[in-house]
Amino acid sequence: MAGGADNAPALEGRRRGLAGLIPGSRKRSRDLALIWLFLAPSLAIFAIYRIVPLIWNAVLSFQFWSPYKPAEFAGLYHYEEMLFYDDAFWQTLWNTLIFMASAPVGIVFALAVALLVDTNIRGRNVYRTIFFMSYPVMTVAVGIIWQWLFNENVGLINYVLIELGIIDRGIPFLESFDWALPSVILASIWQVIGFYMIILLTGLQSIPPSLYEAAAIDGANALQRFRRITLPLIRPSLFLCFVVGIINSFTAFDLIFVMTGGGPGHATDLLITYIYSIAFRLSKFDYAAAITVVNFLLFLALAFLANRLAGGEAGAVKTGG
Amino acid sequence: MSRYPHWPIHLALSIASAAMLVPFYWVLKTSLTGENIFTFPPSLLPESPHIFYYVDVWYAIPFLRYLFNSIIVSVIVVVANVVLNAMAGYALTRDFPGKGATILLFLSCMMIPFQVTIIPAYLITSEMGLLNSYVGMALPLASTIVCIFVFKAAFEAIPKSLIDAARIDGVPDWMIVFRIILPLTKPAIATNVILSFIWSWNSFLWPLVIVRDAQMQTLPLGLARFLSVVEDTTGALYAFCVMVLVPGLIIFLLAQKEFITGLTSGATKG
Amino acid sequence: MRKLAIALAAGAATLAMTLHPGSASAQEKKITVMTWNIPYFTEGFDKWVAAFKKVHPDFEVERIDMKGTELPTFYQTQVVAGTPPDIVDVQGGLWLQYASQGGLKNLDPYLERDKDYTDRINPQILDNWKYEGHHYGVPLYISKTLLFLNRNMMKEAGITEDPTSFDEIMADAEKMTGGENTGFMTLNFDWLYWPLFAMNGVEFVGDDGKAAFNTPEAVALVKRLADLTEKGVINKISWTGRWVEPNGAFAAGNVGMLHAHAPAFLWFKSKADWVNDESVGAMNMPGGWSTPNSHSLVLSEGSKWPEEAWDFMKIATSGDGAYAMGTGTNNLTGDMQVNEKLMGYFKENLPAVVPILETQLQDLDKLTGNWPFAQDAAIKDAFYPELQAALLGEKSAEDALSEAERKVNRILQRR
Repeated sequence: MAGGADNAPALEGRRRGLAGLIPGSRKRSRDLALIWLFLAPSLAIFAIYRIVPLIWNAVLSFQFWSPYKPAEFAGLYHYEEMLFYDDAFWQTLWNTLIFMASAPVGIVFALAVALLVDTNIRGRNVYRTIFFMSYPVMTVAVGIIWQWLFNENVGLINYVLIELGIIDRGIPFLESFDWALPSVILASIWQVIGFYMIILLTGLQSIPPSLYEAAAIDGANALQRFRRITLPLIRPSLFLCFVVGIINSFTAFDLIFVMTGGGPGHATDLLITYIYSIAFRLSKFDYAAAITVVNFLLFLALAFLANRLAGGEAGAVKTGG
Repeated sequence: MSRYPHWPIHLALSIASAAMLVPFYWVLKTSLTGENIFTFPPSLLPESPHIFYYVDVWYAIPFLRYLFNSIIVSVIVVVANVVLNAMAGYALTRDFPGKGATILLFLSCMMIPFQVTIIPAYLITSEMGLLNSYVGMALPLASTIVCIFVFKAAFEAIPKSLIDAARIDGVPDWMIVFRIILPLTKPAIATNVILSFIWSWNSFLWPLVIVRDAQMQTLPLGLARFLSVVEDTTGALYAFCVMVLVPGLIIFLLAQKEFITGLTSGATKG
Repeated sequence: MRKLAIALAAGAATLAMTLHPGSASAQEKKITVMTWNIPYFTEGFDKWVAAFKKVHPDFEVERIDMKGTELPTFYQTQVVAGTPPDIVDVQGGLWLQYASQGGLKNLDPYLERDKDYTDRINPQILDNWKYEGHHYGVPLYISKTLLFLNRNMMKEAGITEDPTSFDEIMADAEKMTGGENTGFMTLNFDWLYWPLFAMNGVEFVGDDGKAAFNTPEAVALVKRLADLTEKGVINKISWTGRWVEPNGAFAAGNVGMLHAHAPAFLWFKSKADWVNDESVGAMNMPGGWSTPNSHSLVLSEGSKWPEEAWDFMKIATSGDGAYAMGTGTNNLTGDMQVNEKLMGYFKENLPAVVPILETQLQDLDKLTGNWPFAQDAAIKDAFYPELQAALLGEKSAEDALSEAERKVNRILQRR
């Protein structure tokens, strides 16, 4: 890791981006110091607010501890409890996976919209604005609004469905074991879809038009152009969408708390709402920490899987050529 | 593309837009009429609208004070994000030992949900003496990973020759960043402004935990407080929702031109 | 690596230096009182503070009010940081969790010492906050469940007598059901629905400390309730809604009977014009069974000024302080002399609540659903989803109760 030896001509060849032109080891180490200085504030913030808390959770997961009493070593007690005795853990894990699996639905829809507003039609900026507008809305407010749209007796959705003759009686969407999770997912997709769209639009616009022209001359039809050019080139954007989709199962926390509180039963509990309830409602911070650790590892694995599928372009948001 | 007729696209987009806008319309309508829980069928148009509920909210909580607090915190967050993310994003465009590990670290940090960090984060903030302060509220959001990557991508898109020329002229690195690169990355800055503003504006749990003083509450806390006073879904609640989300929307609309191009700057290049 | 460390340290140091405004003062003479979702109760609170300052003029009182969903998060964060609010207003069984882990002060020494105060408080009410033989809380305001009757609907259905047993309740409910109308509804949060089980002889735990609810009688009861729910005799919101939904539904005027706690009354009255003392009746559940949902003040173990805090608690929960609480929130308190005075006040100012509040002081020996489980919330979380699934027809009653039995027993054993 440390400076000197790495500072070989070979590295020079790998340099790209904004790297300096002037070689020489003094200049190089000054450069390095500057790079780390630039990274330091962000790293410090993440260290304080992410990494230290993660370590805290990891340590806690092997202890018996609550705010009121000193810690005791617990070994794998909490992990055993979670894996072998806690049905709710498995259900919330399953719900979380379903929730994340719904992200592609939103992404596909967002991609369709992005493709449409990527054309040269009039008013495309208005459409873009409308589609993004739901993202800035406070999640608590989103929950309040949708809770009411879904209401069994006076909700707009049931009203429309009844008027259209699709159903006879209102469906208690948020109180039903079958409908509650899909309903919450719908509200969540509504909120985040504009964010997906913008990310995808970014990717779409970074594709040089010359590629399409060349393909058109070769006689490729629209579908072929989409599959051969568009899809491969927006992979980094798709990856970012998936990461946002994964993280969305955290950010949906407020939504679920407002709309269903995790119920009925645990039908809409996600890992994050379950962890929160165990910690703050049941005062079992130690057990919650164990689930946190598992949750973290799982999500990390999923992110890397998505990264693999996207061709290793981790986090590369291409905004230009 | 001009070979295709535009009206099917307009039709599809209009329908989808309408679906996206319905919740907005509904909340606005309710905030003006208050009819809800016991009204069936719901009327689609507002009947005898009035602004009584907005007046109600105005007097029920110190709205201006909360608005002021929210703005201060958001301004700190936005400024910090633009500066710190630009620095980090720039650093990540350079090659240096440990770069891969740093990116890995950033990505991993995204996978740690805020809710599980509350207690240790509180203890650290308390050690720093930042409880019950604007800076304390802003700090966890002062640098955000998605935005760092937005900057990184924007910097990578800047023509290298421009930087090289400046370097040959002996312009120091920090000056390159602030004099040449930042002006060229306006769209990325706009993206940072909007996203960090949204996240800070809507932040709820963290301010809830570290704010003790009623004078320091932000708007989302006001919403919770308000909910507990009215304890149901009356017009006033919806009026409050509108009052909370309007500032966010205004900022977005003001910055959206830059923002939309910010995330989509490729169009100008080709 | 060294450079990384230096850079990190430099960054952290800069950050700390620019942001550190100087540390807070040491031991200031201040007690903090956290109330539960009563931000509008300010006049009475000021009276408490004034009375407190007469005894301790050099002390400041800080007040925090939180919603029930956020109070535990805030409180426990403060406990970890070593700065817990001295006095906390808690609802239902939340205190049990804190008391069983040593987070609350045992109040027995104070109660024994201050006989004047203790004698004023109804002992049956006080015992609600007894865990393993010790008292951990004093009543701030009290409430328990009762049965509200929609007399308009009863009249329409030709029912002239109030029900006197579980079977009669269900029979009356069936008569009132039809079209948009449902006959019966209950609140379900905490253990508020448990009187339905208690009046049918179902016990939650036996003398051996294990789950005792998985009996043929209980299975039959759950089946019956599920069946009536399916038929619309029992409103489905009973098993799904928390507070706004069921009370709102009752306010809509098409639910025959509502099993709820006393504070529900003023809430649904404020939502509906038809509610008055003629149109809504109030009675204790047959057999006198009810589940308390009172609020108490507890004293944090980490309090730096327990003596002063205790003085504040006495002021708030007895005499003039309790009277201020009662008139400020339209509730009764644990102080029986104050309750008499409060009833006089209500007769004059708010006659509609008088019949409701009268039930709150009756049958105090028939309280149920207030078991002192250390893991009360965890047991609720294990039990209710199973019961709910059975009541909504998602699961058979047999399966649900045996599942629930297994889970509850596991919690009762585990640490």
